[in-house]
Amino acid sequence: MEEIWNGFVQALGLIASRDPEVLEITRRTLMISVSSTSIASAISVPLGSLIHFNRFRGKRVLVSVIQTLFSVPTVVVGLLVFITFSRAGPLGELDLLFSPPAIIIGEVVLITPLILGLIISALSGLDRAVGETAISLGATRLQMVLLSLREAKFAVLAAVIMGYGRAFSEVGLALMVGGNIRGFTRTLTTTISLETSKGNIELSMALGIILLLIALAINVTLNRLQQR
Amino acid sequence: MPILQTMNLDQGFGGRNILSDINLSIEPNEVFVIIGPTGSGKTTLIRLLDMLDRPTGGQLVFFGTDVTFSRPLRLAARRRIAYVQQKPLVFTMSVFDNVACGLRWRQEKKEVITEKVESVLRLVGMLDYRERSAKTLSGGETQRVAVARALVTEPEVLLLDEPTANLDPISVTKIEEVLGHVIDAKRTTLVMATHDMSQGQRLADRIGVMVAGRLVQIGKPHEIFMSPETREVAEFVGMDNILPGIVTGKDGDLATISVHNSTIEAVTSYPDGEMVLSLIRPEDITLTVTPAASSARNTFKGNIVQMVSLKPLIRIEIDCGFPLLVLITQRSSDGMGLSIGKTVYCNVKASAVSIIKRWTY
Amino acid sequence: MKKPGYLYIGIIAVASLLLSATSCMTTTPETEPSTPTPAAPNTQTPAPTTPQVPEVPEVSPTPTPQAEPVAVAPLSPKNRVRVATTTSLYDTGLWGYLEPLFEEQYNVELDVLYAGTGIALEYGRRGDVDVITVHSKTRELEYVADGYGTERVPFAYNYFVIVGPPDDPSGIMDMSPEEAFQTLYMDASSSFVSRGDDSGTHSKEKAIWAAAGYDYADVQAAGDWYIEAGRGMGPTLLLASEEQGYTLSDMGTFLAYQGDIDLIPVVQQGAILLNVYSVIPGNPEVNPSINAEMANNMVDFLTSDDIQKLIGDYGVEEYGMSLFIPSAGSEPES
Repeated sequence: MEEIWNGFVQALGLIASRDPEVLEITRRTLMISVSSTSIASAISVPLGSLIHFNRFRGKRVLVSVIQTLFSVPTVVVGLLVFITFSRAGPLGELDLLFSPPAIIIGEVVLITPLILGLIISALSGLDRAVGETAISLGATRLQMVLLSLREAKFAVLAAVIMGYGRAFSEVGLALMVGGNIRGFTRTLTTTISLETSKGNIELSMALGIILLLIALAINVTLNRLQQR
Repeated sequence: MPILQTMNLDQGFGGRNILSDINLSIEPNEVFVIIGPTGSGKTTLIRLLDMLDRPTGGQLVFFGTDVTFSRPLRLAARRRIAYVQQKPLVFTMSVFDNVACGLRWRQEKKEVITEKVESVLRLVGMLDYRERSAKTLSGGETQRVAVARALVTEPEVLLLDEPTANLDPISVTKIEEVLGHVIDAKRTTLVMATHDMSQGQRLADRIGVMVAGRLVQIGKPHEIFMSPETREVAEFVGMDNILPGIVTGKDGDLATISVHNSTIEAVTSYPDGEMVLSLIRPEDITLTVTPAASSARNTFKGNIVQMVSLKPLIRIEIDCGFPLLVLITQRSSDGMGLSIGKTVYCNVKASAVSIIKRWTY
Repeated sequence: MKKPGYLYIGIIAVASLLLSATSCMTTTPETEPSTPTPAAPNTQTPAPTTPQVPEVPEVSPTPTPQAEPVAVAPLSPKNRVRVATTTSLYDTGLWGYLEPLFEEQYNVELDVLYAGTGIALEYGRRGDVDVITVHSKTRELEYVADGYGTERVPFAYNYFVIVGPPDDPSGIMDMSPEEAFQTLYMDASSSFVSRGDDSGTHSKEKAIWAAAGYDYADVQAAGDWYIEAGRGMGPTLLLASEEQGYTLSDMGTFLAYQGDIDLIPVVQQGAILLNVYSVIPGNPEVNPSINAEMANNMVDFLTSDDIQKLIGDYGVEEYGMSLFIPSAGSEPES
């Protein structure tokens, strides 16, 4: 109990004093999670629309595969990204391993199936009449797709929020491909992991509280967008 | 040149045929009403006409072009057609935005859009609702918005599926008013499906009767209602008295038909010996308590077995050896002191009897 | 949604892409969160207490020895150098102490990867790091022989120590390491926490088991008392303390963690306990992408007189003894 209280007090201290390392780690965490979510969404929205609105052989199988990938262990993705971008691997030339872009790439791979599957689900939940009415009124296919996304806005944004949550809370992958390098690839979650294993419980708690506060702030913002 | 044609149109799912061999030819600015009982395939046909589904057989020709298989041709045709569904769906936006959709998609200029949308909203009486969220409207209001949405694009063909079904009387009136306005302007071809025969009779230039996926009769309203060509049409248009019989004599066009143990005289071209059905509307039978010296050539004596009040009318079933259904006003009935068991005389003019061929299988 | 909604999303997307681009472009000013004294885990907070190297946020007209971080893409090998280190050098805080010194002296960004000897060797083989600091002589020699490293340069040493609960339930105090392990095996009642992570310490542990006459596979299957932690030295000590069991640790990390754990040294004598740390630069002929210049600078740095002195003094003030004994290129007989 004392530990929790101390952690809380320490957290407030760190925030109030604007400790530079905490700020830096926070900034990086935000940058990585927002970037990966944005990229994953930019891929998933068009791709999801394409898959949903077209009929093709194996569509059901594809959707099943996507949904299976929801629960791919993050360390598996981490391993794949590691061996791909390692100097010994096929994309080693890019010198991306142990840098923030590697984490972003890994997170994009991780959350794209999630956002994609949920967007397909969101569009499937729409009344068929939405698309038909639009087509009937003379919309081109693209206009119809945009309208459908608008009509399913709530569920589409929910998909993005879920994806963000997964990216933001990522540890294993960030450790494996980022290397948890101080000043370069540390995120709030990896730092908590490191400090806890070293016994710095109070510091970890402080960071944990900051992490939760940020998660709350971001979610409130996205929720407001959702409600419009 | 017909604006819209279908040739041998078929539609089926999983082996079942919903529509069979539909042949239509609709002229520009015509009002064509498709009537038929629920489940006869009216909605399926209208959807095919809006090209929302592809037929399993046959062809669809719009503005002289076969659009059955080509996507770009369909899009081009579709922009000249509008469709109001049976239960229209409005988008999650204001009434104004809903109606403006079609114009925005056609990249109309903003001022033009505003002007056209307001004008059509005024027409359907929904101008005051323009900022309201369309999802909060009642059934009748939604229908009016849907009609407005369809009309704002100034379509050459307007397709409507049961536009006034399940609406309150005020909305029904309003919508028929709007349709009347559209018809009067003489710039739009209307194809409308309904199960309301009187609506069809009021609005249509021609009627097509659909039963079980087939168009069983096409003609002017008067023809359909007076001279149904098949038993199903007869039943549908309310000829409740359908009497099997056989032609026993002919004098020119006047035929004598043996029905049960009576005879009916009617005008028909069927020859002697033909097996026929005699069709009589309940409202075409007059009742008298004494054998009347009326101009009716047909009189049947019988007893009242049932009386059902359909205020201000009353439907009376009389047993004349065969059942006859008669529809008269409550006032007349009271005036004659009719009651169950009473003996009455049913009088029908020969000209009020329709004759169609009878098929016995 | 109305236009403002799209606008928000657009702004967020563009802003995040810009942020990621600029983060790649500029390096963050290195702040020194730990105090000059070795980091005792509990008392360390990342508050900006007396930094070893004063930050220079403003650009000064004349280049000062405290380097202004250079704003170039760190993706180019010239400006970043990576070292993978065994955990004991990190958990003691030594690397945290040396990192800014190296960066300042050579004007580079040093990335320190907390790894463990096994992983460090693998990173080195793959060319993902430029230089490694590890402590497993046999594997180091093999590594160099295979051509992955150019040379093996010992730079410091200390001793391993077997630590255990203050009441020494298995009674192994002052035995030889081999005897102690035999006793633990046969006793099978007190826990023993192994690193279990292929690290230098783990290699040493396996060597002691072998010297004690056991097949390591048998040890692993010996029972619940043998716990494979799979983590670094500091965390393993914490676990052993929780379990009130025994473990093998290097002296440096043990001293650094002493305040937080309830364990005491029980076996400190034995030739087998010698623990030599070496630095091995990567071989650019095998992995051309390696920053060979900086890797060699690292060797020079660690064996330089100044740094050797600092290494030797590290921990004296706080613990009363050196955590590491500098050995500049040589090593004591084992």
